[in-house]
Order: sequence, then C-alpha cells, then structure tokens
Amino acid sequence: MNHGITNPLSLVLFGGSAGSMVLFEEILQILERPLSFAAVFVLHRGKASSAVFPRIFKNKTNVFMSEPQHLDPVEPDSIYFAIPDYHLLIGPDKRFYYDSSEKDFFSRPSIDATFISAAFSGIPVKAAMLFSGSSADGAFGLKVLAERGSATYVLDPADAESKRMPEAALQQYSGHKVLSRGHFSNTIKEILHTHST
Amino acid sequence: MVLMEYSDLEILIAEIRKISGFDFSGYARPSLLRRASRYLTSKRMDMEQLLAHIAPGGGIVYDLIQEMTVNYSEMFRDPDYFVKVRSEVFTYLESYPALRLWVAGCASGEEAFSMAILLKEAGYLDRSLIYATDLNNKVLTAAREGVFTLSSVRTFSENYMQAAGQHSLSDYYHVSYNKAVISPEIRKNIVFSLHDLTGDGVFNEFQFISCRNVMIYFTLELRQRVFRLLYESLSVLGFLCLGKRETLRYSGLEDYFRVVDSSLNIYQKIK
Repeated sequence: MNHGITNPLSLVLFGGSAGSMVLFEEILQILERPLSFAAVFVLHRGKASSAVFPRIFKNKTNVFMSEPQHLDPVEPDSIYFAIPDYHLLIGPDKRFYYDSSEKDFFSRPSIDATFISAAFSGIPVKAAMLFSGSSADGAFGLKVLAERGSATYVLDPADAESKRMPEAALQQYSGHKVLSRGHFSNTIKEILHTHST
Repeated sequence: MVLMEYSDLEILIAEIRKISGFDFSGYARPSLLRRASRYLTSKRMDMEQLLAHIAPGGGIVYDLIQEMTVNYSEMFRDPDYFVKVRSEVFTYLESYPALRLWVAGCASGEEAFSMAILLKEAGYLDRSLIYATDLNNKVLTAAREGVFTLSSVRTFSENYMQAAGQHSLSDYYHVSYNKAVISPEIRKNIVFSLHDLTGDGVFNEFQFISCRNVMIYFTLELRQRVFRLLYESLSVLGFLCLGKRETLRYSGLEDYFRVVDSSLNIYQKIK
C-alpha cells in the first residue's frame, strides 16, 4: 500500500540466525498497521524451507507479510521475509532483487548482502537490528548502516542464545546500541515508535 | 571489505564497454554492485586502482567480466524441479522423434549434465541434442571438460538422490586425480557454445528451454527482451523452465504461456 508523499518509503531491517526466531516472533506480535515503514526480516533458513514460514506468522499478526518476488517494489506498511537459497537485495530503484551467487558465511540469504544493499539503495534505513547467531554474518552490514547514519542495535551478547553474531557486530563497530532481553518487546516498541514519527 | 558506490559502478560499466565492447548496461545493478565490491575486496584495490588495472584491456578486463557474471550452479539444483520435469514435461516430449533442448546460461555445465542424465534415464537421450550456451568462455571450457571437485559432487549426489535418480550419480562420472569427470556417454549429446542472451539472437527452435537463475541478473527492460528471445526460440507447446523463484511476472508474455507448475516455474508456450 502506497501512502504517497505523506509517508515516504523507509526501511527497518532485522537480521538473525540461530536463536533469533523467538525474537522475530515477539517483534511480529507488537507490529501494528499501519506501519510507517517497510520491515525486512532476514533469517538464515535451510533451502528446503518454504513459504509456509510467513504463513505461520500471518495468523499471529495483523500486518501484511510476504516473501517478496524478484523485482517487486518495496512498499511501506509491509513486512518482508527473505526467501531461502537466494540473497535478497534492495535496489536503488526501490525494488527487491534476488541473487543466487556464492554464500556469505555459509549462508544464503546472507544478512550482510541485504544490509549492504539497503545501505546503498538510497531508501532511508530508520533502524537496523542484529540479534543472535553463530556466525559473523550481518556484522559488517550493520557497521556500514551505522556509518551511513542509520540507528543500529544489537542484542546484548550476554543475552543471546548464540553470541557470535552480536559480538562480531560490536567488535567491528562499538557504537551500536545494545538491547537487553529483559523488556525486549517494550524497547523495540519504543524504537519503532520513535523512528516512525 | 571494499564497497563500491553506484556512481562508480556506472563509470566501471562505461569503462568495460569502452575497453572490451562488453556491455553490462542491461544488468541488474544490485547484483553487479555486490560482485564488483567482491572483486575489489579480493584484489585489495580501490576504484582508482581498478580502473588503472583494467585500462590495458586484454585478459585482465575479461577476468573482471567473468567475475562480474554469476557462474555459480549445482547439478540437480532444486531436486523437486527435476522430479516435476520428469513427470509433467517428458510425457509431451515423448512424441517427438528428435528433441532439441537449450540450456541458456549453462555455467560449467551442471544443468546440461543433469538434463542429459534425466533424459538418459527416461530413454530419450539418444534422440536428444542439448545446446548449452553461456557468454563466459572460461566456464564453457570447464563445461567441455566436465570436471568437478569431489566436494561439489557430494552436493550433486545428494541433490540427485532427492530428485529420485534411478541409479547412483557415480554411475555417470569417474574419479581421476581426485576429481570427478563426467562420462563421455552423458557429454556426447551436448553442444557447448558461446551465446550472449543479451546480444545474440535466435539460433534454433527448441522443444525445451531451461534458463534458470539467469534472468534475475538483468534489468526489467533487458529481461523483457530476453524473454522475447526465449519465446521466439520455442516451438509451440514447447516448455520454458525458470529458476525456482523466478516467474514470468513483468515479462510481458504472461498470456503466451500455460503455467505447468507455479511454484517451480515451468511454463508451456500455447501461442
């Protein structure tokens, strides 16, 4: 749904791997339409997993959620999930692009690929978050976003089920804000509210 | 990691065209940017150094062109696709005394070898000719040799099993010096040749075209042109197979095809 000039397109990005699913679920439950941004979730998924994944969530939230098709325009008030076995890139023409090239950190989709492409897309990235995972994927992309002025957040490694990912993010760039697991939903709510006004 | 800006990418595209004649202007920018950044990173160069590096032309600029086109593939990639081709497509192909198939954008031959095995197991290989084309000479040379590392063959074997292959993939290759070499009987009905989907035209009429994970690298405009080329290269009732997540959407040709399988993106030309 395009809300026209009163609501220009912006992005909020979420990335994670092992141990992040439960956090994604919490976030999905607090999202309420209309969203003033497009939310993009990148979770490392096996290539066999199918579109069933967003459908499971669909019942839990009232926000429109989809696995974007190649070349689909990025629309505000939408929630997107990266599909398995392709990198999900965001282009300067505000469309999604699939890329089936090499894996990053043994992962396709790679969080870095999406985050970096978003940082270069020209679409404002209001916030980007990296949670739990056992590889450093996403750490570099989050740094690029931070350096280009986005608000960036990482889950406190002490609270992460797999701390390698948030740790790598903080090692590469110490300026990310750290989210604690306690009051997680409320904090996220506040962040999303702050950045949507 | 060294990252490139879109403005520099446009300069690079113009330089490559000037030096080599190869034109990336119809290629999807997000993937190109990702690949160009990877190239810079692997060569430890910045943009200025890259431009100086490719200025002499020759092999160096072709090396860059090859790196900027995606050549990654697997045998029996998306096993369920091959199961579907066998059950839904082969029954139509049965009626033809001679079959012409085209694997467009064949990389190192993975898809062409998979098709040849599938045809062989169905008993059609002897009356089939597979044209496998790519714009990249380096990968075509590799394809003609049909040599793969043992670790990639392990992945291929798993895919083959999931694709309900009738034998063992090892029946179709032999191991020599720690490499897997695809058997001559699988290779003999495949013609590997140079063809650039973005510039070259129709060269034959086919009953089956597989062009999987190629179109995603083209811009919307170029994509429509290439779809037109594939459409014109197909006989009526011929099949067009796209990548698992590629559709005819935005092709302008949606009405000319019947959807055989909407999730695996198998289409049949109906007019």
